[in-house]
Amino acid sequence: MTETRVAQSVNQGMGTVITHKAFGKHAEESIRAVCEVTVRMEELLSRFIPGSEISRVNRSAGRKCEKISNEVYEVLSRAVEFSTCCRGIFDVTIGPLVTLWNIGNDASKPPDESRIEQTLPLVNYADLILDPCEKSAGLKKTGQFIDLGGIGKGFAGDKFLEVFKKYGVSSACTNIGGNVVTLGAKPDGSPWRVGIQHPRVDNSLLGLLSVVDKAVVTSGDYQRCFIDRNGKRYHHILDPFTGYPSESGLASVTIVSDHSTEADALSTILFAAGMKKGLEFLGNFPGTEAILVDMDLQVFVTKGLKDCFQAGEGVNVNILDCGG
Amino acid sequence: MVLRNIMIGIIIIVLVGGIICWTLFSKELREGKNLPLTGVDFKRLADGTYTGTYEGGRFKWRANEVQVTVSSGKVARIALLKSTEGRPSEFTNELYDKVIRSQSLQVDTISGATITSKAYLKAVEDALLKAQK
Repeated sequence: MTETRVAQSVNQGMGTVITHKAFGKHAEESIRAVCEVTVRMEELLSRFIPGSEISRVNRSAGRKCEKISNEVYEVLSRAVEFSTCCRGIFDVTIGPLVTLWNIGNDASKPPDESRIEQTLPLVNYADLILDPCEKSAGLKKTGQFIDLGGIGKGFAGDKFLEVFKKYGVSSACTNIGGNVVTLGAKPDGSPWRVGIQHPRVDNSLLGLLSVVDKAVVTSGDYQRCFIDRNGKRYHHILDPFTGYPSESGLASVTIVSDHSTEADALSTILFAAGMKKGLEFLGNFPGTEAILVDMDLQVFVTKGLKDCFQAGEGVNVNILDCGG
Repeated sequence: MVLRNIMIGIIIIVLVGGIICWTLFSKELREGKNLPLTGVDFKRLADGTYTGTYEGGRFKWRANEVQVTVSSGKVARIALLKSTEGRPSEFTNELYDKVIRSQSLQVDTISGATITSKAYLKAVEDALLKAQK
């Protein structure tokens, strides 16, 4: 008889808190290995670590291309794919704009309009040069830089699952600061119960998703944001076209997908693009589903989630005839 | 003199009686306040209709009897069958609704917009404080 063990961990990493729970004969070893991968991912992808590959590419912007590892090449090429697919509403060269706004680091008023206008031309994913033969990356203009905020944690989530599988773990759940990835079902065969944070009520759930083998990622205007003197909310998801936080009429978007990279990028894309355009983009990714919350706190759920989403108290749900 | 002794006797009896009554009464209050509610694993409920009773402490002030219906592994309905406390039905209905709602939203983890470490750690701290109670 094989022994099933359970192992759990809570760590700080990637600028947030990461929790893992794994079941299997080698659960403890698998979590140790996953924690090592977390450190490695951060050392490759973080623009805040001067020695990371991304920092190297950023420093050489406007001058030369830098050799990069397979993982960094993979995440950058996926990012460009998403940018192309959504016609630039998602852009990993958003870095200069993110730094200008400085949201999440005690910013309390928007930057000057002139500075936003000066910064905007630096944001353009078409200026990211990827050489598949050389495995190198570069940025065309000085001052440009890559920020993987909208995809890095999702990418790490997919890498974590690979490690769990390598260690024979058949049931696991990982939460990277709100990005959830599940492997298999729970050991008793029941689905994982993933609560969806309410975008306007702290410590309250919009509802509950029951999932097996899915990534569940949410983007919203309620974390990393500030409200100015006039009561206007400025959140961290910036529109690469306007240079301001996106105003698409949505308060939060949750994506349910087989892959966490996809869920992470698509949640940002749908949030920034809004309901109508966002759902069109979603149509390009078969098997992905979404929960959208508009500014009136109306909840819209794509039809594939009809039976696995349970709404919270006082939450009305509209089923959309798309997704899947 | 005799009258005075009788008076003192009565006062002592009243005092002692009062102390005994108060001790019993406060013990009863404490029991009501600290009544432990643990041990139900809401994830493992077999379908069916069950009747539960609580005898209501030493004086049976809080005795009541309820009927709980479990369907598809979840508490679907709670009905009050008997009660000595006589609270209005709105009170008990609201209480039971809370039980039904909270068990139905028990989660393994929560998906939310990416949280920065400070805010998240605050939540972790909060959870740990609760766990210590």
